[in-house]
Formats: sequence, structure tokens, C-alpha cells
Amino acid sequence: MSGLEGEVLGIATLSLKVALTATIVACLLGIPLGFMLGLTRFAGRRALLVVLNTALAFPTVVIGLLIYLLLARRGPLGGLGLLFTWHAIVIAEVILAAPIAIALSAAAVQAVDPRVRRTALTLGAGSLRTAWTIAREARFALAAAVVVAFGRVLSEVGAALIVGGNVLHETRTLTTAITLATSQGNFTLAVALGLVLLGLALTVNVLIQLFQGRGDI
Amino acid sequence: MATFEVSGLRQAYAGRTVLALDALTVEPGARLAVVGPNGAGKSTLLRLLAFLEPPTAGIIALNGVPVDGRAARRQARSLVTLVEQRPYLFRGTVERNVAYGLRVRGMPAEAVHHRVSEALERLRLQDLAGRNARSLSEGEIQRVAVARALALEPQALLLDEPVSGADRAAQHALLAALAEAQARRPLAIIFASHLLEDAYRWAEQLLALHQGVPSPVTPENLFRVDLPGTAPMQRVAVGPLTIEVVTDRRGPATLAIPPEEIVLSMESLHSSARNVLAGRIIRVAEHGAAIRVTLDAGVELVALITRKSFEEMGLAVGASAYASFKSVAVRVF
Repeated sequence: MSGLEGEVLGIATLSLKVALTATIVACLLGIPLGFMLGLTRFAGRRALLVVLNTALAFPTVVIGLLIYLLLARRGPLGGLGLLFTWHAIVIAEVILAAPIAIALSAAAVQAVDPRVRRTALTLGAGSLRTAWTIAREARFALAAAVVVAFGRVLSEVGAALIVGGNVLHETRTLTTAITLATSQGNFTLAVALGLVLLGLALTVNVLIQLFQGRGDI
Repeated sequence: MATFEVSGLRQAYAGRTVLALDALTVEPGARLAVVGPNGAGKSTLLRLLAFLEPPTAGIIALNGVPVDGRAARRQARSLVTLVEQRPYLFRGTVERNVAYGLRVRGMPAEAVHHRVSEALERLRLQDLAGRNARSLSEGEIQRVAVARALALEPQALLLDEPVSGADRAAQHALLAALAEAQARRPLAIIFASHLLEDAYRWAEQLLALHQGVPSPVTPENLFRVDLPGTAPMQRVAVGPLTIEVVTDRRGPATLAIPPEEIVLSMESLHSSARNVLAGRIIRVAEHGAAIRVTLDAGVELVALITRKSFEEMGLAVGASAYASFKSVAVRVF
């Protein structure tokens, strides 16, 4: 393996690690919240939906800036020493992806036939089991929420640059590497990295599709 | 002890009362038919008895214990099961669907399998066990939903229009399975239907609802009218007919002509009855010792007569007949 290939492989691996970690954390937090938002009625729910929909369109560089200020040496969380580490990128991307997971899973459970809930309840299911049954019935829409969140995180560049710093072997992801290669005029490398990024996105989506198909009946 | 004892039950949605039922008792092993037109409150009553929603007011006691609060309703739901008019089957196989409630109850896999097979056999569904629930016909879905409910061996089974989507053979299998389930153990069955024939054929107890309240008569011969208010004797348009009623009310109202108050004759009667309507017999159904005869006189009228009169008069479908009833027999509410 040449030095360049090794470098690309390292960048791709880091990208995947960051994107998967951020997607998993965002979905673990976001899907239960989406369920709550989709299935229950409480005061302030509409206001929360407005905030959430605004967060969907939040500029990534603004999130990057906020996280930077939080994690900077003199910031409130500066003592953690997370700035310019891949963990900082994960934090920023969780904040970007969580609203997607919440909003899309809320929409997914709201779209489920209301008879599902009544049927589960009348057959003796408790609240948790009923929620699980609703999730099973809505699994295609929930998988779509995961895919969209993953896509957002994998293709994100602004926040990753600001809080990661684009440090080789540490925080250089595919998107930040493409930015750097382009600015250096190294278009061959930029295109190659872009193809790797597309390949990664395609692979993960195909895997999710296969997973969905298996449980179809 | 009664399975259900209902008192002062009220249900309102967005401030509009859709059900007001002062009292209802359902004994173990009872067969109660809740009849009435669409929007009469039948499905609301079933959802309340299934403890799927809390009533706006009133008490529902299950086995003598008032069920109040979320936890109590959750507990009660393990004893009562509702099969909706258009039942929902979860993704997966028929077998998985029938097993759902048993799994929820934490029953061991072997016992679940046994119960599921038994329930499927009773509804003649054993051949469908491995089928994808999404590939079933409407009638099959209904039977699978009943099998899924019966597998739980509930104390009360609530069925909303249970034979609406089924063909005759499927209906027979369904009713036979329900009768068999009742023969094995005390199971109260309450079913809602807009088809009175089903109710009369099957039920031992009848609750007629009209616009959310129990109707003083069965929901046959109910007509929405606009009373002109020319008291006390009023001539009211009912479809193409004019019927004489005695009331001092005016404006929109419902007329009810009790089937037992209608006299059938082969010729027009000269009697004190102010209403004499000519028509043709379109349906004849047994109702215990009596016969229910449906006459098309421009609107459908149901008369209840004894079997002896029916036989002596030689009435049959297609025959012409006259329906006579007194204006004071017409109830207005």
C-alpha cells in the first residue's frame, strides 16, 4: 500500500467512525424523543416542533462556532481538552443530526395507523411494548430517519473544520480533506476522496436497505 | 358478579356528548348486541368497555370493581379484548399476530404455540398460519383478529361489526367459534352491529342506541323528520309517505314506530288506526317465536307478528300487504 493510499484509508476510516458514532448517539437520543413528541400531547409541543424544524436548517458553521466557543481553552468546557479531537466533531455532528432524528421519527410515528396503538393496548401491551410495536410498524420510516441523519453527518464539513481543525491522522475527515486538497489545487486527490465518500454513503445505505428487506414480513 | 356494570356513563369529544348511558349490566356468558345506525355511539361504547379511553363521566365496573385511572385500565385490558370493525394486523405472519397478546403476557414459547394453533383451528385458519398478514382478504383479516382475541381467553370479547367483511362461510365459522368459546367457559360477548338480523339471530340481550342514547325502541322504523308543529295531530313527511303523529313538538325530531305496534293485513283495514300504508314484503326473518316482516311501503317498515298469524295469512316475500298503526303508537324523540 502506497503512502497516499494509506492516508486515504486512514481518512476514510476516521470519517466513518465519526459519522457512525454521531449517527448512533443522535438516534439513541433523538428517536425516543421523537416518539414522545409524536405520540403524546403536552403544553408547548407546537413550540417545540417549531424550534426543532428551525434546528433542521441550522447552518453547520454556526454549530461549529458554538461548539468551538464551548470547548476552547477559555470556554466553559475548555478543561475537557476536547477541541481539535474527533470527539469534538462527534459532539457538533450529534447536535446537527439529533433534530433530524427527532423530527423524522416524530413524523414517522404520527403517520402510523392509529389502530396499531389501540390494537396493541387491547391485546394487553403496556406503554413500552406498545411503543415498540409502533416502532416495528414504522420501521421503514424510522430507517429513513437514520439514513438522513447519517447522510447529514457524513457530508458535513463546516463544523468538522472549525472544531476538528483538519489535523492529519487526528481529525481529518473525507470532507475536510477534500476542502484542503481543492484549496491546494490537488484536484486528483480531491476527486478520489469524493468518490470514496460517495462509495461509503452508498455502502451504508445498501446495508440499511438489506436490513429493512430482511424483516419485511 | 356481573362482568360489566356501567352507571352514569358519558363520553364527550370536543364538548359534544356522543354517548350517554345511565345503566348497563352484562353478565358473564352474556351475548349483548349493541345496535343502531352509524354514529349512534356503538364504537365509542365498545372503546370505553375495552378501557382504551377514559370516560368523561361515569363508572365502568369490571367484575364488581370500578375501573378508574390509567393503571386500573391497563390491568382491566388484560381481561377484555376488542376486535375493531376494520381490524389491524401487525406486520409479520398470521401466527405471529395471533401470538402477540400471549407473548405480551410473557407466556412460554411452547404454550404460545399450542394456544395459537388451537385458536387458528377453531377459526379454520390453520392453513394461513405462515402467511404474511398483509396478503389476506378482508374476511380472513377479521377471522385472524378474532382468533388473536380468543387466544387470550378473555372474560369479555367486544366485537365491532364482526361479520361486516366476511362472506357467508366465514361468518358461519366466526359465529361457530364464538359459540364454542362460550360453551367452554363464561365469556361475555358484546357486539356492535347496524344489521338487526345479526343481532336478533345471535344476541340474547339488545341495546339499541340512537344518537348516543339508548333508544326506547329497537332502531327499526326510525325516521328523521321535520315536524310542522300543527299540534296535536300532525301530518309528517317520511320519505314519499305522510304519517300522522300526535305530538306538540315542532322542528327536527326522530319518529319511532315500534314493530310490535304495526298490524299487517292483506287488505286495507277500516279501523281506528290513522296510518294505513300499502307495500310489498321484501324480507322475512325469524325472531324467537315471532316473525319479523319487512315491508317496502316507500320506506322500509318492520312489523313483528306471531308465527301463527304469519302462517295463517300465508305471507311471503314478494306479497302485497298493508301496514296499519295508530298515530298515538308513533313515538317522537
